[in-house]
Order: sequence, then C-alpha cells, then structure tokens
Amino acid sequence: MRVMYALSVVLLTGACSDLARSPAHAGADAQVQTLGTVEVTARLVEVPEGAIFKRDLYDYATILKYEVVTVHRGALKQGAVIYVGQYNPWKPRAAAADRKAPNLGGNARQFHAGRLQRLALATPLDDFFMGGLVDKYFGRRAGPAYWAVWTNDAD
Amino acid sequence: MKPIRMRAQRPGSPGVATVQALFSKGWKKARGFFQALGKSAGTFPSLGNAAFVWLACGSLAAGAAEAPDVAALRAEVRGLGWLVFAARSAAGDYDLFLCRPDGSALRNLTQTPDANEAYPLFSRDGTRLLYRRLARTETINGNDYGTQGRLCLARADGAGAQTLGGDGEFPWASWSPDGRQLLCLAPQGFQIVDLASRKVVRTLPRAGFFQQPTWSPDGRAIVGVANAFGESWSIGRMDMAGGAASAVHVQDCCTPDWFPDSAHIIFSWRPAGQTLNKGYGWTQLWRKAAKGGPAQLVLAEEGRHIYGGHVSPDGRYVICTGNMQEDGDPAHSGAPMSLMRLCDAPLIIGANAALRTTHPAAKSGPVLALPVGWEPCWTLRELPAGGGGAKP
Repeated sequence: MRVMYALSVVLLTGACSDLARSPAHAGADAQVQTLGTVEVTARLVEVPEGAIFKRDLYDYATILKYEVVTVHRGALKQGAVIYVGQYNPWKPRAAAADRKAPNLGGNARQFHAGRLQRLALATPLDDFFMGGLVDKYFGRRAGPAYWAVWTNDAD
Repeated sequence: MKPIRMRAQRPGSPGVATVQALFSKGWKKARGFFQALGKSAGTFPSLGNAAFVWLACGSLAAGAAEAPDVAALRAEVRGLGWLVFAARSAAGDYDLFLCRPDGSALRNLTQTPDANEAYPLFSRDGTRLLYRRLARTETINGNDYGTQGRLCLARADGAGAQTLGGDGEFPWASWSPDGRQLLCLAPQGFQIVDLASRKVVRTLPRAGFFQQPTWSPDGRAIVGVANAFGESWSIGRMDMAGGAASAVHVQDCCTPDWFPDSAHIIFSWRPAGQTLNKGYGWTQLWRKAAKGGPAQLVLAEEGRHIYGGHVSPDGRYVICTGNMQEDGDPAHSGAPMSLMRLCDAPLIIGANAALRTTHPAAKSGPVLALPVGWEPCWTLRELPAGGGGAKP
C-alpha cells in the first residue's frame, strides 16, 4: 500500500511538472493568472543597449519589446508585438516591488533576448507608474505601453 | 558664522590649521584635497565636499584670504534676502536652514531631531514656506522627495508650522504665483488645490510628467520632468490654459526651475558624448527658453554633478547644489551649494578641455562656495530675526 501511495505521488508530481512545462501552463501561478487585465506568454525580442543598467540612485522602468506567443487573457493577438515597462529591470522580479511600484513580482530573475516569459500586464502604463522611463523605442513604436505586474519565466 | 558640522573629525584627518594653509593656497586645491579625502572614505563620497565647506566656512570666518572676485561677489549678495535649504543637522537628521546668500547668518529653522525636513519652497512673495517632513528613519530620495512624508506650511521664518494632510498627500506641492493655490502632481494628473479649503479646484492631464513640477511666476505654464518626450528624463512645459504639453529639452535632464520672466528655465543636463567620469560625464547647469531655442551653458564643473538650479528672484544670480553623486547626496552627508552671477555664465570649473573648446569664452569664476545644503530656494524679502523651531 505504501509503495502504491509513493508511486502515485511520484506520478502526480511528474504530471504536474509536465503540465507546468507544457506551453499552455509554463510559468503559470495564481498571481500571473489573476493580476492585471492582460495575460500572455511572450518572447523578449531584444534588450537594446543601454535599456537596462544598475544605478542605485535611480528607480526607473525600461520599455522592452515582446512578441506574443500565447494569449491567456485579454484582447491581444498571437504574434502581436507589444512594448512592456519593466520596473528596475536589473533586479529579480521578486525583489523589484517598492513604495514607488508596489505589488510587482514573479520568478523571472533577468531579461535576456529570446527568453519566453509569462506576463500579467496592465495598461496604460501611466496609470500605474509615475517615474523615470527609459524608452529606447521612443518615436518608433505605436500603441500603448503595458505595465508588467507579474513576470514569470516560461522557458 | 556658525558652520554646519556634518560629521565628527575622523582620526587622522587633517586639522583646521592644515585646512587653512591649504585654503590660503587656493580654494580649488583645498577642495580637490578634500574630494580626494572623500573618495578615500569610500562609504561617503561626499564627505570630502562636506568637510571642505564646513572648514572653508570656518576659515573664512577666521579671516582667511579669499580671491578678490569671490570676496566681491560675497559682499554683493550678502544683503539680498535669504536662502532656505535642507541640510543634515548636528543631531544627524535633515533640518531646514536659513542663511544669507553669502552663506552667513546660518540658522536652523526646524530643529526636529526625530524627523527629516526637505524640499523647502518660499512662496513667490516670500511670506510663507512649504516643505516636507519625513520620519527620521526615512531616507530622502533624490527622485521622490516631493512625495515623501507630509506637506508642511509655515511662515517664511519657520514659525507657525502646520501639517497639511497625511503621508504622501499633496505630492510635489509647489506654489501658485499668488500663493493661494498649490500645484500637485499625482499619478492621476496635475491637481490645483485651493490652499484655504484644501480642495482640488482643477485638474490637468499628467502627460508623462512625473517629478519636480513648478508653476511659472506669471501663472501661464508648468515645467517639470517628463518621460513623454524622449528616451529618458526630459524637461516638459505644459500650457495652463489648454493643457498642451511640449518638450523643452530631452535626454538626461532634470530639476527645472523658472526664471522670473516666466520665459526661460534653468535646468540640469548631462550631455551625451562626454569623455570625463569614465565616459559617463558630469551633469551641468543650463538655461533655455521654455518655448524652445538653443540651450546655453551656465555652469559645468569637472568632478561634480550640478543639480537644483534656482534663479534669484531678481534674475541676476543662480544657486545650485550637487556633488559626485547624482542627486546632491541627501541620503548621506549632503553637498555644498554654490552661487554665481548669471552674467558671468558660462562658467567652467576645472580643465575640461573638450568643454572649453566648445565654449572658448567661458570663465572660471567667481563661484561662491556656500554651506552644505540641498534644493535651495531664495527670497529677497527680509525675514524676522530669530524665529525657527518650526514644529507643527
């Protein structure tokens, strides 16, 4: 009986793990599935030079370019290019929230081009963040900038 | 003169006699010495500047020689009203201080060892003072100070202080030209608050503005730092009549303030392409017409970022602060303030060959070294003697 129980636990854990790794569930957790108004799995297209830097005296958000791979919530379409504000992007997401930008989080630790991430987003950015913005796409992008509320790795 | 003693002298630090000897050989050399000392201190890079100003003031009080052009400037501005600024007190907290524009007659206005005070603003008529009071445990943030703690209102000499609202309320509050209203900047947009009723009487869209808004003396426009006009920190102007916003200057600029003519602004800018400071460059003080036009260099200093430019109410002088850190270093010891004539601009302190090539007519002084202070504000009005102890 104990052997059967242990086997069941192992199989169930494996199944859950597989589920979490499947494209539809990778990066899913309670926060990313409920926060904000839009939820997508998207690939970080690039990190422009100078978009992410560490300067202790400055709290800032940087605009990053993503291509939507899967839409979980919201009106975006697969393949859409979106621009997302990430607050203090040199910090792991779990350590990014502060008085200026509360209630942020996620398990993503760094931003690298090509990375797949699951994002809970809010819009427009200005409603959620009043601070310095590094926007290397200034004058070259159309549409609203989204505010990243929760960012999990989904690779 | 009672200098602000920022920190106890460290064992092994040079004594006052050494400083006076250095000072007599030239204040630039002395300052360089103390900047190097501050660098070697590591934890507090501004310590050298703070020590320099404290001891320099002491040297002047003791009658040490001062360059004739600096002495003339000091005498010229001595009677022109008062400066108010935040600085670290002997108790270690940040208090508000008054001094004459030449740095004399220094006195502590607030004397609140359990709290920090910052961001003092005289009303345009010089009768009242706005500032923010933070918990002693809260570090003043060079980008968020207008939203920290509680807004306080007092008479210009610090008397009769009262708190307006709770923590974070009336963010970035600054004076209307007539002193009857406050301009505030919140995530929802600009708010005009009637001071008597504390009610919002008008709103304007935020349009990307996010810090340091200031209402023009003629009441027709706002300038502030915005993120809507370029890749990074920009200076924007908003028309009060229709709410239309436009860029004044883009890329790595901040702390804008109006000239008395309401047509020009002074601001800090770190131009790209500098080779100094490991290619990062130094932030400089510039002026520009608020509706556009070429920017003109006012003050650049090798080895120091310059921030918090504030033009005297008569439009003849500018005061500023800044140090090797990028924010005037309110989290640590603070940094010395400076004063110069606008008719002497552009001024370049230090070799800075590249900048001197661009501005071949630039002078090297005179610049007054004032006490350590942060975000100074100037009134020409005479204030009552004494006063202070502003505790709501």
